[in-house]
Amino acid sequence: MTFEPKIVGFLCNWCSYTGADLAGTSRIPYAPNVRIIRVMCSARIDPTFVLKALHDGADGVLICGCHPGDCHYSEGNYKMMRRYPLLKRLLADYGVEEDRVRLEWVSASEGQRFADIVNDMTERVRELGPSPVHRNLVSDAVER
Amino acid sequence: MTEDVKIGVYVCNCGTNIAKTVDCDAVVEAAKALPGVAAARTYKYMCSNPGQEMIVDDIVQLGLDRVVVSACSPRMHEPTFRKALEKAGVNPYFFEMANIREQCSWVHDDAEAATDKAKALTRAAILRVARHDALERRSVDMNPTTLVIGGGIAGMSAALDIADAGAHVHLVEQSDHLGGNVARVDLTAPYLDSARDILTERITRVVEHPRIQVHLQGEVEEVTGFVGNFIARIADRGGNGQGAPLSVDVGSVIVATGYKEFDAHRITHYGYGKLPNVVTSFELEKMLRAGRVETKEGKRPQYVALIHCVGSRSAEFNSYCSRVCCMTALKYAHEVKAAVPGVYVSDIYVDMHAFGKGHEDFYRRSSEVKTLFLMYEKGESPVVRKAAAGDDCEMLIEVDEKLSGETIEIPADLVVLMVGMEARPDSERVAHLVNISRDKDGWFIESHPKLDPVATTTEGIFIAGACQAPKDIPDSVAQARAAAGRILARIARGRLEVDAMFAEVDEDKCSGCRICNDLCPYTAIEFDEEKRKSHIISALCKSCGACVAACPSSAINALHFTDAQIFAEIEGVLL
Repeated sequence: MTFEPKIVGFLCNWCSYTGADLAGTSRIPYAPNVRIIRVMCSARIDPTFVLKALHDGADGVLICGCHPGDCHYSEGNYKMMRRYPLLKRLLADYGVEEDRVRLEWVSASEGQRFADIVNDMTERVRELGPSPVHRNLVSDAVER
Repeated sequence: MTEDVKIGVYVCNCGTNIAKTVDCDAVVEAAKALPGVAAARTYKYMCSNPGQEMIVDDIVQLGLDRVVVSACSPRMHEPTFRKALEKAGVNPYFFEMANIREQCSWVHDDAEAATDKAKALTRAAILRVARHDALERRSVDMNPTTLVIGGGIAGMSAALDIADAGAHVHLVEQSDHLGGNVARVDLTAPYLDSARDILTERITRVVEHPRIQVHLQGEVEEVTGFVGNFIARIADRGGNGQGAPLSVDVGSVIVATGYKEFDAHRITHYGYGKLPNVVTSFELEKMLRAGRVETKEGKRPQYVALIHCVGSRSAEFNSYCSRVCCMTALKYAHEVKAAVPGVYVSDIYVDMHAFGKGHEDFYRRSSEVKTLFLMYEKGESPVVRKAAAGDDCEMLIEVDEKLSGETIEIPADLVVLMVGMEARPDSERVAHLVNISRDKDGWFIESHPKLDPVATTTEGIFIAGACQAPKDIPDSVAQARAAAGRILARIARGRLEVDAMFAEVDEDKCSGCRICNDLCPYTAIEFDEEKRKSHIISALCKSCGACVAACPSSAINALHFTDAQIFAEIEGVLL
């Protein structure tokens, strides 16, 4: 049986969540592996959310926000953009592979792009196999 | 707090939209097993009156205090169900939606996978709602003064309705005159009445209106604030009076910036810009308004050809239909024949779109005035070339005629390209100015394509006319007056209820590090020097959560998007 990864998607309300809705209204089929959690802005995504998701058994985490320059809150996505490399460095230290956590920009009109990203990410995480993150590894960072 | 909750879970079939792929009964059974769930049911249409009544009855009879609806996107019906909770006497924020239509049944074919995902999303909503807090909606003052950007037929119509009702309007127009694209048109389809007559009435009333201030050669440089309380900075770009920008307080903004026509140079095989007698529809309008339809050489044309869908309905340029060109072409058949007696008019089209009121009759009447209709296949555009010296015409058009199946050559002295509509090049700037979104073609995106076509995702910002999508005059005016109506309803209420979501600082936890102070794009965070604590001005906060995620002491709480609520959701989707 092929491995079906569980991926948690954090999507900003204004661009990316609406883009995912557009994929729905346009009936663009995509892999069922991403489970979406809505936040108002990608800037709200505390790195702890990503760690918590990995800790709780996610094989991958997808973060989506508005394209640079298009943020509903002017510059929230730039904040995410700056936090992301720091988070990735931390994750690399814990042995989390590059492709497991991904940041993408999806606008409200990009239903197809959202579907493509989900399909591509699902494929890559499927190739990586189940997440190596052991609960104990990140629990210190999560419990606070 | 989460242990003694009584949650009702309602899984919508959405007719067959959800139920055809998602096993809704299985989702209900899975929900019933979760702590705190006191009732779980499916229903055909949860958003219908009986569906909402079901929730209200359960709240009253079973004493529910939280509700989850698994159905469509919360962007669609969250307000509907929040109202149902309110009706039953429960705080509307004790509600959460799981999106199992857009995110499950509409995008996954595999019923088992779709059902599993629907269960996970529903579970996440159940765990989340147990951690919801009762929130009180804020109410803000509604400034009745309105800013209208764009002085075309849409902007003027909206401005007049608002001003007639007693409120003040600032109408900002980029050019040095009112009227927009309609001012470039001679007659209108399908009744062949004069565009000038329609406009003159509007322009005169706007200019003379005591409550409308027109800013010609004006440009809105900045819009700050929030619904009911915006501040707009209007610059004067006129030659003389380049004074300091004017700052005006407004409660609402209507964007009615219109469109620009497709640049016909981009299609080489029509010869626009090379063959002197290939003109655009707007260039023909100019001739018609001057009452002289003639070639560049000043001759009366014997053959006039109209080519449809120039830049529209094409894989190469714009995929959409520009909606007005078909009827405009039929209008030209009438007008050109009236201006040049004895002229032969050929109308080279893909499909004749005659969808509007009176349009089909107009099409029939146009067929009766001896217009030669030739149909071509989408993507197989005709080719225009210069005629030989011996021919009795200026140009020849080669058409692969679809109905006869033959390649036909049509003579022409004047070729009119029916150029489509495009989003204006400054639409990106305008979108950023008022914080609204554009679709893939650059048109502004409405709040909901069917149920809310005049509002946008930014509260207090409305759109009207062809800046949203190609539109004819009646549709532009209808949308403009609808936007005015929406604003007038708010003005009549005096105060506005806005979302209860904002961020707040827990002073006991705040270390006074001030990291959050400069992060806020709305300068909603101030620093109390005496207490050495940061403080959020809730009226200015738009609840993006940037400060919440940045606070090293976890001292900032995003109401309705708390860490605990999002953690519960993460647990729910992964359980």
